[in-house]
This record gives sequence, structure tokens and C-alpha cells, in this order.
Amino acid sequence: MLTKPKSFSPYVPKPATLVGKSKLSDFVTLFTFAFDDGRILAHRPGQFIMLSIFGVGEAPFSVSSPPTKQSGNFELAVRRTGTLTEALHRLEVGAKVGVRGPYGSFFPIQKFVGQDTLFIAGGLGYIPLRSLLHYQLRHRDEFGRIVVLIGTRNPKERIFVDQLAEISARGDVEVLETVDQPDPAWTGNVGVITTLLPKVEMDPSQTYVAMVGPPIMYRFVISECRDMGIRGERIYVSLERKMKCGLGKCGHCQINGLSTCVDGPVFAYTDIETLEEAI
Amino acid sequence: MTAYCLHMEQLPPLMAWWRKEYDVYVPVAAEGGHYDFAPWREGTEIAFDYDLAYNTLKRYFLPPSEDLLTFDLASYEAQAVFEDPKQILFGVHPYDVRAVNQLDQLMEAGAPDRNYMARREATVVMAMEPQRVADTAFWSTIGADVVSHGYDLHFTRISPANFMVEVGSVKGEELLLARGPLPAATAGDREAARKAHQKVMDLSRSNRLNFDWRHTPKLMEKGWNAGVWREKAELCLACGSCNVVCPTCYCFNVSEEADETLKTGRRFREWDGCMLVNFATVAGGHNFRTKALERYRHRYMRKGKYISDKIGELGCVGCGRCVRACTARIANPREVFNALWEDQANAD
Ligand SMILES: Cc1cc2nc3c(=O)[nH]c(=O)nc-3n(C[C@H](O)[C@H](O)[C@H](O)COP(=O)(O)OP(=O)(O)OC[C@H]3O[C@@H](n4cnc5c(N)ncnc54)[C@H](O)[C@@H]3O)c2cc1C
Ligand code: SF4
Ligand code: SF4
Ligand code: FES
Repeated sequence: MLTKPKSFSPYVPKPATLVGKSKLSDFVTLFTFAFDDGRILAHRPGQFIMLSIFGVGEAPFSVSSPPTKQSGNFELAVRRTGTLTEALHRLEVGAKVGVRGPYGSFFPIQKFVGQDTLFIAGGLGYIPLRSLLHYQLRHRDEFGRIVVLIGTRNPKERIFVDQLAEISARGDVEVLETVDQPDPAWTGNVGVITTLLPKVEMDPSQTYVAMVGPPIMYRFVISECRDMGIRGERIYVSLERKMKCGLGKCGHCQINGLSTCVDGPVFAYTDIETLEEAI
Repeated sequence: MTAYCLHMEQLPPLMAWWRKEYDVYVPVAAEGGHYDFAPWREGTEIAFDYDLAYNTLKRYFLPPSEDLLTFDLASYEAQAVFEDPKQILFGVHPYDVRAVNQLDQLMEAGAPDRNYMARREATVVMAMEPQRVADTAFWSTIGADVVSHGYDLHFTRISPANFMVEVGSVKGEELLLARGPLPAATAGDREAARKAHQKVMDLSRSNRLNFDWRHTPKLMEKGWNAGVWREKAELCLACGSCNVVCPTCYCFNVSEEADETLKTGRRFREWDGCMLVNFATVAGGHNFRTKALERYRHRYMRKGKYISDKIGELGCVGCGRCVRACTARIANPREVFNALWEDQANAD
């Protein structure tokens, strides 16, 4: 026990300023923030922050940009879906927000070194994976093959389209996309994300999987990865739950006995495979 | 352990003395045949023989609503708010002390919840051996009849007019001796205290677990698909009363409001409950525990397994408050635990 209540509270956010804003799709916008005191977020890929708009509320968002030691800027890609995210979308560059974090577990990058990585992103799952992918691209020679699978509901909802085209054009990253519902202009793959898996041949003994998507995606994709021969301890998933405190206290984010906010959001599949509530 | 003898008549002057510096709360008879904790005033009749306080004591550490911070909308500076009134809780039964001890551990783990801890620091807990047992209680069969720590003083009524008071902390001893020295407890006093404890244990024979409580986590683990969940949860009204009255439930929601001028505002937390329908609903409407069964089971898993995995004792202290509070008559952890035991005993 502390002998005296300190003035420090883990619930107090630090002021940050919106320094950039760009639309990614009808519903998703990329926001760039910088802390007012110049500090660096120092997150690791897969971690999230709690973002406050005072008077509206606070919610968790994955950091989408890779970690950086140079500038304090960090990016969130946010889907407009409710009260806080609506308010966020209305903010103009120069507006202030509050930020707590970074919080939670992250993709174990060190393990991925010298190995192949299979990214599997369902819908907005690309947002947190982008942090890991861009980190790997920045240190490209430390990693083996990089394969990125992205499934989106329809072509209109695809995000980071230009960036992904650039990445794909590098020649050292394989990017495969699919949509559930094509439009007339779509010439790519059609179908759920599992239809992409047979198109990639990975060496299961040296592949790590990093997977983020909607709840229904995991069960199917994980079982296919297992069929490909990839062992559970090489499969990492990030899970989403309701979060109110980010500190393992409020109880909202529990998956069986684990708190997604501190034990997750990134889990090795072997750590959650026996948990009934996980996927 | 140091112990003193205190005469009943010495207590009110002590309370009056304590009240100069502390808010003093004591058990009193409340409406409807219930008991509750209330502020002590000159002349307040303390219910020394209360069986169960209707409301839990967690409200003194984790109030139903509590400010976490105030904020300034222009500068985006936020200030932590700590409320830590100096308070004495007098007459807390051991199972309730145990519940507070659990909250202490859980709120301190990882990133400590300093709001909780500030209140806890400012609070003096004076425990008291029960003299009666609520008909819904089963603390005696899960090892929650005694606590080894978490109190500053521990009172046992050893005769109609006398208490034996064990010292749990320096602060407790100071408060006890604040108005002058007291006689040390004799071997006879200690024996009388032991008998008082035995007497209340004898009284609590009727509501028992049918097995050693230490098996509970294993039972829960194997009982994920047990029939008891469906059977009970079918009747659940999702009212959350069992969460509200439970001394070991501590989930909360966080909200905020700006003032009328939109210049400043406050962020606060309020009790929440995993039995409420939308407790695990995320944006877009996906609910991770849609069914009453899932919510009901989760609550008991927390009590019977998840918390015990963390701290090594049951997350239910057997107070029986939820049993009373549930209008559907399904919130009885003892029945749930026993049903799982019967199930698995028959399966083996
Ligand atoms: C670890 C994590 C990372 C996330 N990363 C992103 C991201 O990068 N981009 C993105 O667009 N979204 C992300 N989300 C989802 C995002 O938090 C929700 O979209 C957001 O909370 C919606 O808030 P709202 O007020 O606009 O919606 P409302 O529907 O108005 O919110 C209702 C309430 O439920 C809570 N809530 C609702 N949905 C969620 C949810 N999914 N998670 C947690 N709390 C929720 C909110 O706190 C709020 O109190 C992430 C969620 C988690 C848990
Ligand atoms: S679950 Fe019921 S009996 Fe157990 S501590 Fe909570 S209110 Fe008391
Ligand atoms: S008090 Fe009873 S009816 Fe209400 S949520 Fe709890 S178990 Fe369900
Ligand atoms: S967000 Fe509160 S416990 Fe995880």
C-alpha cells in the first residue's frame, strides 16, 4: 500500500494535438497526433491507446503507425461508428485530444526476425497490423518473406489503397486482396479471406502468423493455418473487447479469466485456445 | 497478538472522540428488519448482534459514483481527483473484511487504482466477531469466518458488557487507547473469545457446501457446460442486483459530462454489472455475452475460479447478500457450487 495518495493517477490522459487528418474510405479516417509536451508514444506494434475527447468520452484504438524514436507523431485509423468516433471525425487539424497509454501486449517482433510473416487482415484488422508491417518494411533485411492477405467487404471499404499498391510494387512483399461483394470495376479475388490461403505457400516451420479481424474470422482462419501445418504458438491474434479502463480493473474486457487490456489484445493462439470465450 | 479488554460503556466516549477526526460508521437496525451501516452520532444504537448489513462496505472504498478527474476543454489539461475522507468502519464482520482484502489485492495489482487506494488508506477497519448468522450466509463453510489481516482492531463480545479487542495495527491501537489505558486481555478473555467464535460457527451449520471449498476452481473448470447454468439463468431478469450487493464485485463504467459553459467537466466512474445485458457490447452492436446463461456463468466463474486463480481464495465470501437480493431466487452461489459438485460426483 502507498503511504500517501499521490497526485499521479493512471486515469489522467496527456494532451495531444491533431496534426493531420486524411480520409481512407467513407467511414475510416487516418488521424495523426503529437503529444503537446513532445514526448514520444513509444508503443510496440499491436498496442493500443485510450483516446479522450473531453465531454464526449474515451475509447481504445490501436496505433496504426510503426514505433518511432525520432518524432512523437503517431497515427490512428478510426471507423466512424458511434458517439466518440463521430466526434473525432468532426475534429479539425489543431484540435486537442487526451491520450493514455500505450497499453497491452504486442506482437513479439524479436521472434519474427529471420522468419517469414503471414499477415491476415479482415476488414479493419489491417489497422493494427499496419504498425507491425511498416516496422518490418523499415527493417526489411531482418525478416524473411512477408505475405499480406487482406479481406474487405466491398471495394469501396478498402483502406490504405495507394500505400498498399506501393508496398506491393516493391517486389519484396506479396499482397493479396479479396472482397466479399465485388463491384463491376473489381478484377481481383472474390470471396472470404480463407479463399486467399490456398494461393500462398508458406514454409510452416518458419512462418509466424499475425492475424486481426472480426470475431467470426478467427475460428475459420486459424483452423486453416493449422491445416497448413503452422503450429499454434506461431499464430498471433489480436482480440477486441469493450474497454473502459485499460488497466485490468473495470472488468468489461474479460475473456474468461484474462483481461484483454493487459493480458492482450495480442495473444499467442496457444494461450487462448482452451478459453471458451476467446474465439 | 496484543489484545485489550473494553467495557461496553467505554465505547461511546471513544466513538465521540474518534468522530472529531473521522466519519464513524456503525451497524444499525434499518427499515424492514434489515441492518445497514450508518454514521454514528451521540445516542446511536449500535446493532452489535446484526446478522448481515444489507449494503456492502465496498461503497466506502469504491463509491457507487466517484469522480476520476476534472478536465479543461481549452488546455486539455486533466486533474486527478482523489477523495479520501478519514473514516472508521466499526463492526465489520470477518467475511466482509476478507472481501475488502480481496479488493485491496485486485485494485493494487498491475497499475494500481489510486482512487481506490487513497480511500482505503484513509479508512480504519474495526472488525467484529458476528453473534448471529444470516439465514442466507455460508461464509463459515468456505473459510471466511476468520481473517488474519486487513483490520486495525478486532472486537469480540465476550460477555454482555465486555469486548476483547485484538490489535491489528499501530493506528488501531492508538485509536483504542486514545482516551486512556485499558487492561490487557487475560487468558480467560481469550478463551471466552474463542468460545464466542465457536458458538457462531455452531449457529452456521445449516448452510453448507457439500464439499471442501478448495475444490471449487476445479469444479468450475470442468463445469463449463453444466446444466445448472441453463436451469438457473432461464429465470434471470438481468437486473444486476446480485452485482450491486456483492462485496467482491467491483466492475465499473466510465462516463463524463461537461458543464453548461463547455469550459470544464468531470469524468467519473459508476458501478456496473456483468449481469446487465450490454456489459460486453462493443460498437456496432456485437455482444460478446448475449445470452443470460453466458452472463450468469461468467459471474460465478469469476467468483469460483478467475479470482481464485489470481489470489488463491474464493472470490465469493459467502455473505449471502445476492441470495437475498435476487427476486428470481437463482443467485445462490452455494446452490450453484453444490450443483456442480453433485454433477461431477455423479459423473465420476
Ligand atoms: C484494443 C482495441 C483497439 C481498437 N482499435 C481500433 C482502431 O484502430 N480503429 C477503430 O476504428 N476502432 C478500434 N477499436 C474499436 C473502437 O474502440 C470502437 O469503435 C469505439 O469504442 C467506438 O466508440 P464510439 O463512442 O464511437 O461508439 P459507441 O457505439 O457510441 O460506443 C458505445 C460505448 O461502448 C464502448 N465501446 C463500443 N465499442 C467498443 C469496442 N469495440 N471496444 C471498446 N469499447 C467499445 C465505448 O467505450 C462507448 O462507451 C478498437 C477497440 C479495441 C478494444
Ligand atoms: S456472490 Fe453473493 S454470497 Fe458471494 S460474496 Fe457476492 S453477494 Fe456474497
Ligand atoms: S439478481 Fe438474480 S435476476 Fe437479477 S441479475 Fe442477478 S441472478 Fe439475475
Ligand atoms: S478495459 Fe477495464 S479491465 Fe480491461
